[in-house]
Amino acid sequence: MVILRGRSVWSGALGGIGLAAFLDETVFHQLLHWHHFYDGAGPTAGLVSDGFFHAFGFVAAVAGLFLLADLQRRRALVPRAWWAGLLLGLGGFQLYDGTVQHKLLHLHQIRYGVPLLPYDLVWNLVAVVALVAGAVLVRPRGA
Amino acid sequence: MSAGLQALPGLPLLLAATAYASAVRRLARRGDGWPRSRSLATAAALGLLAVAVLPPLAAHDEDLRAHVVQHLLLMVAGPLLLALGAPVTLTLRSLRTPSRRRLLALLHSPPMRLLVHPLTVVALDVGGLYAVYLTPVFEASEEQWWLHALIHAHMVLAGTLLAVVVAGADPLPGRPGVPMRLALVVATGAAHDVLARLLWTRGWGDAARLLAYGGEAADVAFAVAVLSAWYAAGGRELARSARRVATS
Repeated sequence: MVILRGRSVWSGALGGIGLAAFLDETVFHQLLHWHHFYDGAGPTAGLVSDGFFHAFGFVAAVAGLFLLADLQRRRALVPRAWWAGLLLGLGGFQLYDGTVQHKLLHLHQIRYGVPLLPYDLVWNLVAVVALVAGAVLVRPRGA
Repeated sequence: MSAGLQALPGLPLLLAATAYASAVRRLARRGDGWPRSRSLATAAALGLLAVAVLPPLAAHDEDLRAHVVQHLLLMVAGPLLLALGAPVTLTLRSLRTPSRRRLLALLHSPPMRLLVHPLTVVALDVGGLYAVYLTPVFEASEEQWWLHALIHAHMVLAGTLLAVVVAGADPLPGRPGVPMRLALVVATGAAHDVLARLLWTRGWGDAARLLAYGGEAADVAFAVAVLSAWYAAGGRELARSARRVATS
């Protein structure tokens, strides 16, 4: 049986990107109402970036799950590599959202009417921790 | 507008339904099957298109929310289901050999290849969308019934072209690979999302939100259609190689 380590990482990473986009949409936009649909600040570049963020996030989630199902059926999944990919995807996308989209492009902020610094720090710190954990896990055991 | 005129957009849909059903019957008479799932997809597609263009929904399309629902049915839901119904394969199978050859020659002709090129598909789909919603065309279409009809026809045709190239059940010469088709879904989905937010800044309110979230649901539906076909093809490949191992 062939073990597909690289594809396991990719499947996890796509799933992680999808999870980041999903959490952003459900938790921060819909449940907490912290994020705004569009606050009309920032340049058009932010709008385009956000459009890609949403579309890519949802498509990535679906692709990651189908890849996972395919790996399972071939018995080629490396669970550790998949989890590493998930953390890398989640952390990478969250860091991109927290730095480029929120700060550089001023698309919208994490929350309104509060001091932003603690929110920004926690948001990006969580992303960095996920990235580091993913980077540690992604190396094959014993290597 | 008179009741007769209001029902007029239903006519092409009725013709399409009749043509599809009679082709399936022709196949059945000579003993050939046709997957029921494809007939169901086509019936659902034509049903949703009918909901979009007939009263009561069409009578309220000065309400922006009703208009957005119409748009999502005409350009996304209807076309995706139409493409999953494999109408070209059905037509080819139901024709006699000389007509089938002529249709095949047309389908493989250079203009047709240009039409199904990813750039053409995106230009017609996204370009049409932006040209209508961000210019005075949209307001003018509320006054002129023929412009209105033209825009609806464009929505269905451009949406169907995208759906056929990205997720169609019909074989397509030179269809791009899975990553390129997913990239097309992301590109058109992103353009849709940007449009929704631009309309939000123009006071579309709930209608803009509906457009954005409907568009996201469409991205998921298209991705599922592309990847489930990929998954099924992989399953057939695995079964074939298992048989080869068993017989050798």
